[in-house]
Formats: sequence, C-alpha cells, structure tokens
Amino acid sequence: MPFINEILKYESLSIVGLEKNTGKTECLKYVLSRLPINERNIAVTSIGIDGETTDQVTRTQKPEIVLKPGMFFATSEAHYRQRRLLSELVDVSDESTSLGRVVTAKALTQGKILLSGPSSSSGLRRWMRDIKRFDISLAIIDGALSRLSLASPAVSQSMILATGAAFSANVNTLIHKTAFVVNLINLDLTSERNIALLSPLDKGLWMVDKDGELHYLNAVTSLSKELNIDGAEQCSTLFVAGALVDSFLEKLRQDKFLRHVEVVVRDFTKIFVSPQQFNLFEKMGGRIRVLQKSKLIAVTVNPTSPTGYVLDSSMLCQKLSETINLPVYDLLKNIECN
Amino acid sequence: MQLKNVIDMPCGLRFMLDELQLQSGYARRFLLDSHMMTSSEQLRVSYEVLKQFSAFVNSIDKSRLNTLLFRLQGVKDINTTINNLSRKAVLDDIELFEIKHLAILAGEVKKIMQEYNLNQVIEIPELNNVIDILDPDGLKIASFYIYDSYCEELKQLRSDMRKNPDQQEQLLIEATELEDSVRASLSEKLYPFVENLSQALISLALIDINVAKALQISSMALSFPNVAATGECRYQAMFNPQVKASLEKQGREFQPVNIDFGSSPSLITGANMGGKTVVLKTLALCQMLFQFGFGIPASSATIVPCDEIFFCIGDEQSIEKGLSSFAAEMKKIDAVIKASRTDNIILALIDEPARTTNPTEGTALVQALLKVINGNNVRLVMTTHYDIEPGKAHCLRVKGLVNGLMDYSLVEVHDGDVPHEALNIAQSLNIDSEWLNEARRLLGDGSSCEESKPNNVTI
Repeated sequence: MPFINEILKYESLSIVGLEKNTGKTECLKYVLSRLPINERNIAVTSIGIDGETTDQVTRTQKPEIVLKPGMFFATSEAHYRQRRLLSELVDVSDESTSLGRVVTAKALTQGKILLSGPSSSSGLRRWMRDIKRFDISLAIIDGALSRLSLASPAVSQSMILATGAAFSANVNTLIHKTAFVVNLINLDLTSERNIALLSPLDKGLWMVDKDGELHYLNAVTSLSKELNIDGAEQCSTLFVAGALVDSFLEKLRQDKFLRHVEVVVRDFTKIFVSPQQFNLFEKMGGRIRVLQKSKLIAVTVNPTSPTGYVLDSSMLCQKLSETINLPVYDLLKNIECN
Repeated sequence: MQLKNVIDMPCGLRFMLDELQLQSGYARRFLLDSHMMTSSEQLRVSYEVLKQFSAFVNSIDKSRLNTLLFRLQGVKDINTTINNLSRKAVLDDIELFEIKHLAILAGEVKKIMQEYNLNQVIEIPELNNVIDILDPDGLKIASFYIYDSYCEELKQLRSDMRKNPDQQEQLLIEATELEDSVRASLSEKLYPFVENLSQALISLALIDINVAKALQISSMALSFPNVAATGECRYQAMFNPQVKASLEKQGREFQPVNIDFGSSPSLITGANMGGKTVVLKTLALCQMLFQFGFGIPASSATIVPCDEIFFCIGDEQSIEKGLSSFAAEMKKIDAVIKASRTDNIILALIDEPARTTNPTEGTALVQALLKVINGNNVRLVMTTHYDIEPGKAHCLRVKGLVNGLMDYSLVEVHDGDVPHEALNIAQSLNIDSEWLNEARRLLGDGSSCEESKPNNVTI
C-alpha cells in the first residue's frame, strides 16, 4: 500500500478536510487501521473537536475513532474523562483549551475516544516536540480547514487532503476548487534567506528590499484601502503575516512597482484569495510563496454529500487525479485511481 | 503589600523580574503573590537561605545544575487537585497523575538538595508513601492509570475484555465501577499526605526562586545586603541594572554612586542631567529588592526595612481622575505626610516636589515639607532645584560638570545652594546659542557660549 509507506517517511501527518463530511475521519480511521503500530509509536490528536458520534452541525452519523493498544493520543481533560478504553496517562500539559488542559495518554486496550487536542499552531508545535520523549515516530493530526481554528495543519511535514460532494455537488466545480487548494498546498517555499528573516515575524506587513533589508510597513496592512509604500520601487518581497485577501492582490496588480514582487505568507492556510485573483496575479508576473509547507501525499474523496447526493466515485477519482497529478482514493469503496 | 502590586512602580523592578530565570510559571506566580518582608529578623533568615543557595549555584557543576533546572521546569500548580484531596473528594485519573508526578519530581529534587546539604535549608517533605500508593508495580515512571495490581477482580475483568471483544461494552461498565472504587480507596489513602504535598509544592517554588535569585546575583554582580534594624542606609557603588545594561549596549559605562541617608532628611541638589532621578529610582529599586529578598545592585549595602515605601516621581498626571500633574503630586505627598503621623516606619523618595508651579510658592512648599516631614520614623530623600534652607537636613550635591564631563558622584555639602549649571548643560545639548546667550545676558553673566562640550552626559 504505497499510501501508507509514503506516510511513514515523515514524522508528522495532518489529515485535512476541505469541508465537513468530506470523509476526513474515515480517512483517519483508514490510516490508523493500516499503520504498523507494533513497529512504531504513533500519536494522534485533533485540532477541532473530533470523534463525536454525530456531526455537531448536520447531525449525520460520523465514524468514531478507535484506537489500538500502544497508540498515544492527546485530547482535552473533558474528553479524557469520557474515554471508553483503558489508557495510561503520561502527560498533562499547560496547554489549555475550552475543554480543559490537553492530556497525552497511551491506549492499553482497544477502544473509542473523542479527540480534541491543542487549539493553536504554537500549541500543536509544542505538543509535537514534547511527545518526542515517548519515542513517537509519527504524529497524526486530525486537521480542519473550514472550521474556525487557530491551529494550522501546515505545521506537519506531510498532509492528506479529504474532499468530496459535501464541498461541491458539481463534479467540475469540485475538481476545480479542489485543484486550487492543491495548488496552494504545493506552493513553493521562499528562499532560505527569506525564511530565516521572516519566520520570527508574527504580525504586520513587511517588505524586503533589493538589498535584502527588512522594513516594517507601519501604516499599511493587507486590508488597507490605499497601498502607498515608501520605496516601493526597491521592493523585492512583501511578507503578509496575516491573511492574504483578494483586494490586496488587486492593489498590487495596479501598482507598477509591486506587480512583479514575491508575496510571502506563512503557509497556505493564510491565503484567502479567489482562484481568479490568484491566477491573474501570477499571470502578471507576481509570485506567491510560503515559509512552511507540507508534502501532500494523497487526496481522498467522499462522493456522498450529507444532503444525500451521490457522485460517481470512479469518474470523480479519475478526473481529479488527472487534474492534480496525485493519487486520489475513495476510501469507503477503496478504489485506487492513479 | 504583594510583589504584584508594586511590580510596575517606575523604578525598574519589572526589569529585574524579567531578568530572573524562573523555571516554572508556578514559581513566578508564587513570587508575585509573596508579601513584602518588613521585619529585620525575617529578612535575615531569608538572606541566610539565599546565601546558601548562592554558594550552591557557584559550586555545583553545570550539568547537575541543568538537571535541577530541568526538574524545576516540570513543576505545575496542582493546588486545585490538592484542595480536592483535602476536602476528601474522590480524585480522577488526571488528578492522581498530577499527584504522582509531583511526588516523583519532589523526590528527584530532594535528592539533589541532599547531595549539597540543602535539604535542611528548604525542606521537601518525604513523599515516598505517596509514590508507593500510586506506583503499585514499582515502575518509578511518571505515568498513571488504574493498574491491574490494585484489584484482582479488575485484572480478571480486563483480561476477559481482551479475550471477548464482543462483550466489551458490558464489561467496560463493570470495569468502570471497579475502577471508581479503586480511585475512592486511593484518594482515602492519599488524604493523610495533603499537608506534605502542599508543602512540597511550596518548597519546590521556593527552591526555584532562590536558585533564580542566586543566579541573578552572579550574573548581574549584585551583593548581599547587611540587614540593619535601625540607623542609616548605606550604599557603596550603587548602580541601576537597567540603565547600566542600556548604557553597555551603547558601549558606555555606568558610574556607580555612594550614598548614605536616613538619620535626618536628605536633600539632593545638582545639575540637570546629573542623575538625581536615577539615584532616587535606584534607591526605590534597592529598597524593594531588599524587602522581597533579592540581591542588591551595589558593591555593599546596609539597608533598614520599612513598613511603607513612597516613591513620588513627577509627571503623575491622572487624566482619568481629572487631576493635573500638580494636583496628582500634591495628593501623593499628602499621603506621605499622613503616613508620617502613624507609627509605621516609612521611606519617602520624592523627586523635585512642586516643580510644576511657580518657583516662589514652590520653594515655600518644599521648605515647609522639609519641616513637616521630620519625624524619627520617616526616611526622606528628596531632590530639588529650589534654593532651600536645609536646617537639619543632610545635603548632597551631584558633582556635576568637571572639565566638560559629567561626574555623577554625590558630595556632601553644608548648604542647600543649588548649582547653576543649567545653561552650560543646555549648551552641551547644542541648544540654540542665541537663546542661551540672551538668557546669560538676563542673568547678568557676560560670558557667551564656549566651545567645550561635555561628551558623556547621560540621563
């Protein structure tokens, strides 16, 4: 199974759903059931509430997360108390969520658990670092994109993207929109020099000039109406620490000095631009780059939407795979299209 | 008064706290919640402890110290859990884990303390019984669950569960009931150790704080003060660590200052930019550091504890309260006068009182203040630019410009005459010469701007 072997090459994996009910939890379950847990220590957590038996929004049936003995997991205190398995508590962190602190434990029997781990990117990163002392060779993060979460799945080294009819019921739109997200995930890293320079910055708009000097653009944000940047003609890179939005790219396009610059964002989850604006900006000679990226291993599809609409699974897998040049799987049917 | 109430006093206390390398958030909160020490006996004991820790951090080898610091990092505030235990609640797995974690951690720190004979200085209670209760298999690992060995029946049930996954749901309910009874009995067994656990947590915080203070003493070249019950406060080569650090960044040096005060009111006069305010700020800082048991930024210091410390520095405009800078200052000094009429021993550090009003009334106000605050229980240090008749007050003056260089040291003088160096100093700042010459003319001083410029004027 190339999918699983590919995962084992990395220390961390996040599974990201493009929309609720795109089969993300199914995907997690699939991965967990096939990993060689006897050979490696595996830890799993979630950055949203997950593992609930019914979907909190649409009230449809959701699969529960079943852990096998030996697996480590992180969840909130509240959910740890509701666990239905025997587990050994190994750490109580200072990381606090709305459901209490995040605790890490090792499953001793097979059983079901609600996962709700760290809720910020820094918390997630800290957790991934902390669990190293338990010889964890793979940390799996059940991620979320559409949900309101401060945690970015891009902190993991690898990623699986779950998409499906819940995201769009029209096959062409679904493929188109998914391909755009795949594009964003696969955005190239900026130069190593820029990564070193820009990584510590956590807010504001910054400019790197042609001499490599960093300037804080005090008066402007990516949401400003006007984009009057002093020394714009010297600008080679613009770093947007917050969200990158349509209107910002539009303003850059209209500026004769700034339309060719490299725009850098922390990771693809910070990009909130429409495919039209994105393509237009790239066509005009601009580039968008990221400070950190994950290796996209595969895309999974769930052809069934929560409203009951079902797409043709094999056609969907095939078409999507052709468009994005990556393996696409329907895990429920377990049809592999490559 | 708790440290957290005075941390933002404008004397640089926050800088000292930010520089303190505490290992756990719990120790930081514990320190911020601590009360100011006012008895000399209490202070002596506290510095005795700190001295032993200072000797310890200077003698321990680096890797062993790092081990200790790493252990202290693991200390967490589990007072909620300890409170639950003390009210005889049944603890859940997370709480039992926290107690076990604390007990193991305390044991490890205790071992290091014993190696260096510090176990008598800050005593960590014996918690082996707690570990035994929560570690029935003797694994000595800080992890926890309701172990099979707690209950034979539970062990049997769990093995049935593994054999018959179909009946797991039913068996899980039975197992949960048994686990609950084990938790109840564990909580009961742990109850007698509530005091010890609570004490261990406090001791770990105190060790963290003392190690951090001791490390700060070496890294900032601070000293241990002599604790005096009465008499004068004496500082030799006192410096302000924050100002010193920022000067060093610019490649400049801080000039330490000697000062004695206390038996009678002290009046500091001197040129502008002569560091009078820095002296007052540093005195406030030293007094605070002293009464919270820190190292003192001076080569040697004799300090008397006070019950109350007043630090009145200008520009206290309070727009919210609708007070002008003058009104705000008057109110503050009023509080000092009121306090001086109680039995409390107070330290009052007042920077240029009445400076925002006209010099005639200002001089009268300052002169009168010197007379009004003159009790035995008040230690007053005041700076001023007004010509004051010192009376019994002890007068100090900043040496000022010497050959165009600022000398910040304080010299004793016997009159309250203020130096007239404002124009020279303004000149050194490259202020418009037409203006300064006109001022000189008005003063009837014939000399015009000279070309010599002081080059190390700061503050």
